[in-house]
Amino acid sequence: MKKKLISIILTAVLIVGLSAAVMAETDKYGGVWKDALQSNPPQMDPAQSTDTKSAEMIYQLFETLVEYDSEGNIKPLLAESWDISEDAQTYTFHLRKGVHFHAETEGGTPTANGGREVTAEDWVWTFNHITSPETKSPRAYFIDMIKGYDAYRNGETDKLAGVRAVDKYTLEVELEKPFAPFLGTLAYNTFVVMPKEDVNKWGEDWNFHPVGTGAFKFESWEQDSVVRMSRNDNYWMKDEDGNQLPYLEALEFRIIPDYTMMWEEFQIGNIYQTYVDDPFYLDAKENYPDTFFELPQLGTYYYGMNVEKEPFDDKRVRQAMNYAINREMMIELVQNGRNTPAKGIIPPTMFGYNEELEGYSYNPDKARALLAEAGYQDGFEVTLQYNTSKGHKRVAEALQAQYRQVGIDVKLQNLDWGSHLDSVERGEAAFFRMGWVADYNDPDNFLYVLLHSDNIGPEGNYARFSNERFDTLTEYARLETDPEKRKQAYQQAEKIAVEEAPWVFIYHYTTHSLVQPYVNNYELPAFGQHANLFRDVWISK
Amino acid sequence: MFAYFIRRTLGVIPVILGVILVVFILTTIVPGDPARIMMGQRGDPETLKLIRKEMGLDEPTHVQLVKFYKDVFTLNLGRSYRNNMTVIESIKSRLPVTATLAIGAMIIAVVLGVSIGIYSATHQYTWQDYLSMIFSLLGIASPVYFVGLIMVIIFARKLGWVPGTGLGNGEWIYYVLPILTLGVRPMALIVRLTRSTMLEVVHQDYVKTARAKGLKEKAVIYKHALKNALIPVITIIGLQTASLLSGVMLTETIYSLPGLGRLSIQAVTNRDFPIIRGVVLFMALVFVLANLLVDLSYGFFDPRIRYE
Repeated sequence: MKKKLISIILTAVLIVGLSAAVMAETDKYGGVWKDALQSNPPQMDPAQSTDTKSAEMIYQLFETLVEYDSEGNIKPLLAESWDISEDAQTYTFHLRKGVHFHAETEGGTPTANGGREVTAEDWVWTFNHITSPETKSPRAYFIDMIKGYDAYRNGETDKLAGVRAVDKYTLEVELEKPFAPFLGTLAYNTFVVMPKEDVNKWGEDWNFHPVGTGAFKFESWEQDSVVRMSRNDNYWMKDEDGNQLPYLEALEFRIIPDYTMMWEEFQIGNIYQTYVDDPFYLDAKENYPDTFFELPQLGTYYYGMNVEKEPFDDKRVRQAMNYAINREMMIELVQNGRNTPAKGIIPPTMFGYNEELEGYSYNPDKARALLAEAGYQDGFEVTLQYNTSKGHKRVAEALQAQYRQVGIDVKLQNLDWGSHLDSVERGEAAFFRMGWVADYNDPDNFLYVLLHSDNIGPEGNYARFSNERFDTLTEYARLETDPEKRKQAYQQAEKIAVEEAPWVFIYHYTTHSLVQPYVNNYELPAFGQHANLFRDVWISK
Repeated sequence: MFAYFIRRTLGVIPVILGVILVVFILTTIVPGDPARIMMGQRGDPETLKLIRKEMGLDEPTHVQLVKFYKDVFTLNLGRSYRNNMTVIESIKSRLPVTATLAIGAMIIAVVLGVSIGIYSATHQYTWQDYLSMIFSLLGIASPVYFVGLIMVIIFARKLGWVPGTGLGNGEWIYYVLPILTLGVRPMALIVRLTRSTMLEVVHQDYVKTARAKGLKEKAVIYKHALKNALIPVITIIGLQTASLLSGVMLTETIYSLPGLGRLSIQAVTNRDFPIIRGVVLFMALVFVLANLLVDLSYGFFDPRIRYE
């Protein structure tokens, strides 16, 4: 009798368990993801997008050939696989079959492309469209290494010679010379496939009627208020059990410009994900330990010193500027300890990061000695220019106090972003705040872009740093395809830059995101929340 | 009255021409290159040149000014540098929100402000009078941002009477807190002003005469005293229209509402000159028209003004 009872109970448990599992499976579908953006995304035209808000929208609607996984490694997306020629100049992409552009948009309106399949010709058209001088894409130069780029831009040819459709599902891209981080650049949100019928149909208004291949299709965009997207029922991707993705019925991104209000809205339950600004950061971390995601971001915060201007034309002064500050204390004091002190340029989770790099520790005596050696035994006065923001101000004030202790009188001057960038690029500001978050996960995007002498001025080298050996190393690493050799070259180049100290290396960013406890499968990407995809996120509420 | 109307209306034209010039000069001398901001932190000079050319930023200033006057008069204000939407469409899509907020706030401010002011004046030194004075003082002293935040915490998070910020699907409930927030300050000002001018007027001889004639108190207050007491109140209403236009910027930001205030803040941050020019011109026009209406209404309330 007892045995019978036990077996009945076990059977019942099994049935309940199984039905719960089945329920859980089907329960994944449905629901509207409610999110917040701090400002209106200016662009949903991938060719024109340069900011993270636009990127977040574009990643849901469009797709690239390759993408980054949550740890920052390249993986296939619309290209199932690829071959790289021996000379590393030709990339052959084998495209995924059965990928279709959105057939409907904006409340069921048929798109101009009619939902047709994506082929290699579409990629050829897209690359030509992005790099065409008429498109004036601010990010076209990311792929200026493709063969025929200059000739096409100058109007000498009518197409981009290096991009060819071998057959319906094979795309070939030929480069002028090897460029090791090429695949990484292709994961950037500009290089997505676009349907020419819809781009041509909307012309100047294409930005307001985006049509792609993504897991979600565009529904509406009320400027400064809300962006709505709905599930793409014809999406090609399945989950590991073969179920159709995405699970969510729709996405809704509200524009909430004030972080305090964003926090209030999160607590009311009106949004499912939020960035938490001070003074709520610690509260959020404590109260939501399981759903507070935080990880190192591929970015570096620094104060640039214009090496062409006094007193920063003297290496010893630049080094003294680095020894004079206590990074750890500043981070603890004004940032709740949330960032990582920087020893150099390359952020910790990036390929090529050198754990053994010594960097500059807090050593005010050494700073004073270096200043005296450089003839500034009584210190000097300098103005730090930064773009207006509470966070930048707090960091600047903390470091200002530390600089005072070694005799450097730092005056603070804040400007709005546009004016700040303008004056920094023109080399007018001697001492300025700046930061950089990776476009692609490769040291090239930091060392070459921000410190190679070819890039002095608007192209990224604001400190106007110029060092022949550094240039040679970073150029070599761009062309070299052996990862180990590249790593060594980057580490040597970084060592030179740290020794020469064109920047005060301050900290590497972390990124965080807080989600509601009923959100499942949420992952915070290494690039930050803006790179997030909601393909397999589901809501259990 | 007609001559007065024509004179005041014609006076608006040089003001508008001047506003156009000032808007142009301001957006020309301000540092920061819109093409550069659009490119993001890093950009290639070649594309930058192409974008600047398309924006017309490479033309001499006087050519840009002549073109600007022409564009304004043909109502062709161009497209946003930032998202390529036409300026007219950008303003049109945001206007309903701002207009609802401003008109709603003004109605609340005038109706409640004048009523409470009259009540206070006619019940001077009672506890109701003291209470209304304390509240109006708080109303004047509290910044829009503070009022907005407190209202959301109390009415949305704690009590749950309103769903939160934003516009939802356009339901009226979403407008309640923003309108109250925006209306508090002008209402408080109107309460105080109505009270003081009423107190001044009710002690004048003609009011005493009205009372001596044996008129009912209501008739004395509403028929004789109020009309004269309202003239300074009308002036304040005109001036508050301008203050409301700046108040909407904060209110729209706190409540995440897509109005002209938010549009202009973003445009200034991004040096989106076509939008800045369009919004400033539009707001200036509203301000000038509001003042014109106030001026014209003086003629109605005080016939002496018409014959000056």
